[in-house]
Amino acid sequence: MPFAPQLYSAALRMTRNPTDAEDVLQEALLKAFRGYHTYESGTNLKAWLYRILTNTFINKYRERSRRPSEVELGELEDLYLFKRLGGEESTGGATRSAEEEALEGFVDEDIKGALESLPENFRMPVLLADVEGFSYKEIAEIMDVPIGTVMSRLHRGRKALQRALWRLAEERGIPA
Amino acid sequence: MNCHEAHEQMYGYLDRESGVVRRLRVRWHLYRCPPCGKGFSFEYALRLRVRQGCRDELPEELSHRLRALLREQTDGQG
Ligand SMILES: [Zn+2]
Repeated sequence: MPFAPQLYSAALRMTRNPTDAEDVLQEALLKAFRGYHTYESGTNLKAWLYRILTNTFINKYRERSRRPSEVELGELEDLYLFKRLGGEESTGGATRSAEEEALEGFVDEDIKGALESLPENFRMPVLLADVEGFSYKEIAEIMDVPIGTVMSRLHRGRKALQRALWRLAEERGIPA
Repeated sequence: MNCHEAHEQMYGYLDRESGVVRRLRVRWHLYRCPPCGKGFSFEYALRLRVRQGCRDELPEELSHRLRALLREQTDGQG
């Protein structure tokens, strides 16, 4: 099970709780196992597995909510977090800037929580691109949506992630 | 390319999805414009932090259960 730990992490971000993540992962692995003959050798195995995982998650949880959550986020500016951490004012030159160091003030639970706070239609592309490293085209295939939709959701989702992180930073007093 | 255009190209550039000519134009702007350079560098660092922060270990118990389940499938097929 070469991708199992990675798939489990992704399932946790999708479902946002360990019990559902285990169910989704188990069901996806069974589907992959039984449908292995449909995998074309030489194509991207990881993308194939993530497509099965994503479909399993969507089928299981869309039933519950009926309607996919096409939530809007409102307009957010570029470099949202950078600007709030004082990136525009700080003077350059150092190999590692103060804003970049401020990122170390977040613990992993903050990052996971911020990502999980995004509505599903924005969370999925951010997860697939920024955590898993898939290309726009691969994400379009995994999620079965047009590439333009992937790009716009990914861009807006990233800004929303930054806003969620900034809220945490403010609560926590980062940077100290 | 001005700062506004550079920002519009930022994700395509960082995602390595933009074509060669665009990449070079963005890179040239970053070279000449330290504020944009810092902004791009921050976005890149943030992405690494997100990636690094989203790794969970597969629980031992779950790993055993999944292995057993898949073994069952193989046995079932003879
Ligand atoms: Zn600039």
